Amino acid sequence: MIFLSLLKILFLILIFLSGSVSSSLAVDLRELIRAVEQQYTGQSSISEVEMTVVTGHWERHLKMESWSLGRERFLIRILAPIKERGVATLKVENEVWNYLPKVDRVIRIPPSMMGGAWMGSHITNDDLVKANHIDQDYNFTLLEETNESWRIEGIPKPDAPVIWGKIIYQIFKEQLVPSQIDYFDEEGILVRQILFDDVQTVSGRTIPLKMTVVPLEKPKEKTVMHYRKLQFDVDLKKDFFSLGNLKGRR
Amino acid sequence: MLYQLALRNIWRNRRRTLLTLSAMIISSALLILALGIFSGMLRDMLASATEQYYGHLVISAKGYQDDRDMFRHFSMDKSIENVLKQDEITGYSQRLRSFGLLSHQQNSSPGEILGILPSQEQTVTGLQDSLIDGHYLTADDSNGAVLGSGLAQRLNVVPGDQLVFVTQAADGSIGNDLLLVRGIFSTGDIGYDNTLVLVPLAWLQQLLVLPGQIHEIAVKTDQPLNAAALAEQYRVNLPDALEILDWGEMLPQMREVVASYAVSRMIIVTILYLATGLGILNTFFMAVMERTRELGVLMALGMRPGQIRTMIMLETAIMGSLGLLCGAVVGIALSLYMALVGVDLSGTLTPITYAGGTILPRLHAVIEPANILIPSVCLLIVSLLAGFLPANRAAKMQPVVAIRDAI
Repeated sequence: MIFLSLLKILFLILIFLSGSVSSSLAVDLRELIRAVEQQYTGQSSISEVEMTVVTGHWERHLKMESWSLGRERFLIRILAPIKERGVATLKVENEVWNYLPKVDRVIRIPPSMMGGAWMGSHITNDDLVKANHIDQDYNFTLLEETNESWRIEGIPKPDAPVIWGKIIYQIFKEQLVPSQIDYFDEEGILVRQILFDDVQTVSGRTIPLKMTVVPLEKPKEKTVMHYRKLQFDVDLKKDFFSLGNLKGRR
Repeated sequence: MLYQLALRNIWRNRRRTLLTLSAMIISSALLILALGIFSGMLRDMLASATEQYYGHLVISAKGYQDDRDMFRHFSMDKSIENVLKQDEITGYSQRLRSFGLLSHQQNSSPGEILGILPSQEQTVTGLQDSLIDGHYLTADDSNGAVLGSGLAQRLNVVPGDQLVFVTQAADGSIGNDLLLVRGIFSTGDIGYDNTLVLVPLAWLQQLLVLPGQIHEIAVKTDQPLNAAALAEQYRVNLPDALEILDWGEMLPQMREVVASYAVSRMIIVTILYLATGLGILNTFFMAVMERTRELGVLMALGMRPGQIRTMIMLETAIMGSLGLLCGAVVGIALSLYMALVGVDLSGTLTPITYAGGTILPRLHAVIEPANILIPSVCLLIVSLLAGFLPANRAAKMQPVVAIRDAI
């Protein structure tokens, strides 16, 4: 009798433990993905980025500076080439505006154009708006664990407003930095990959400074973002991210 | 001799002749009008599909019409110019196309921008006739824009307002510039009214960094229903990198609509022919039938059956031709009225957009030689048949029986 009840208690403890283990793991995964998606922004940041866009028809190099605050505020402005100097994008919550200095106009990106290319790159306006919500819109499971890395699969929550059907992250365990992210469409076809490179420690954080976006349906094309300067936890106020500042008049 | 006899016979009983003639005139005139209206509806629909946008033929780089890839561009050369000199071609328009974002103040909307030469575009599309506000682009306009009514409403612009257009240029840069709204068109086709903007060709070439380049040449011919054969004929003379498509290849649904329309038109036309033919048959048949007795007397006087037949055939041929001549004149006059004035039904019907074409709420006829010749020939055969049958019957009778034959 006693033996049996002991067994029962043991069994209950086991169930309890396994439950708590899996739930704590899920929280960890969500936190991990959140950290990965916000590796370049943090609480607030100022950065200088070089972007190279390669297509079958042309190759472009852009130099940009960007500011971010929390998840919802983001401003990026082109410094070079001269022809596009001053072209800027502001994201506040779910809205995206572009500023065009040549015609001195601010243009709001309508919802129907959110899938369009941002600054001619392979990054869409949607990426700017939705990437910061991936940890909230997806459920994560651990697919594989090796000595060096985790493979984590993200499946969208049933009613989440997302564009991808599945996302798979490869994350190095030791440094907690991603090496590769695979994006699948709703039919489960791999359509885009982001590869990370040049891992360095910048203001106390270890992050990959180079990010390559590869659209798989266009094999010759890619967009490379290389962070040149990165500064975290800087003093930025919400009102910095205004339409006035988008135009560059401070 | 027989000829004179036939003429006298026609003249003798004027009431009968006039009755027979009027039946012929009215039926043939109405048949010609009905055929004209059917052709008019078909042409209206085809015109709305081709003359608002596509044209009858389109010359472009191979594959361009499938994906509208900005980089599939070409420039005008001698061989293309030679093709465009053909007699059947009534107009052509060089175009450059771009998709991008249009914006005015707080409003923005995606749109399709078509860079055109105003003098050329007007020979292919009829958008200049669909303007509801402002005016069309002029040849010296450097940054004007004519856009659809739905798009104008969404952007909240009227002629005189500024628009910004942003897109990616061919060198990868962010092409953006200002446009001035000149006019607003409303075609009744939501697809064009909500997205299409016409701008000067040179303006768009500069914005896209594609100097001297075009994406397509839209061509209008005087034989829209024969466009596929013309495309085949011109294809051999075009450079290899280019293709020429007719409207049926660009609007396959429209081709099916035209084909199914042709079938339903044929059914209705057959019924019309039968009804008209039977009416004429009846009148002519009875007119000869009631003369059985008279024919009997003629035979008793020594006229041979063959002569009887020939005489009646001459009579019906003379009356038939006269009737058809008058009928055709009346029919053409009615069709002309319907072609020039038409009947507007827009009070009770709204335009229907279907398969890329718009059916306008109006009755409108066109005059095609086939619509006059074919019914004329058919009705003449019917009337000859209508005369021949009773004449043949009378000619085969014994004179005595024919004289006794009472109606």
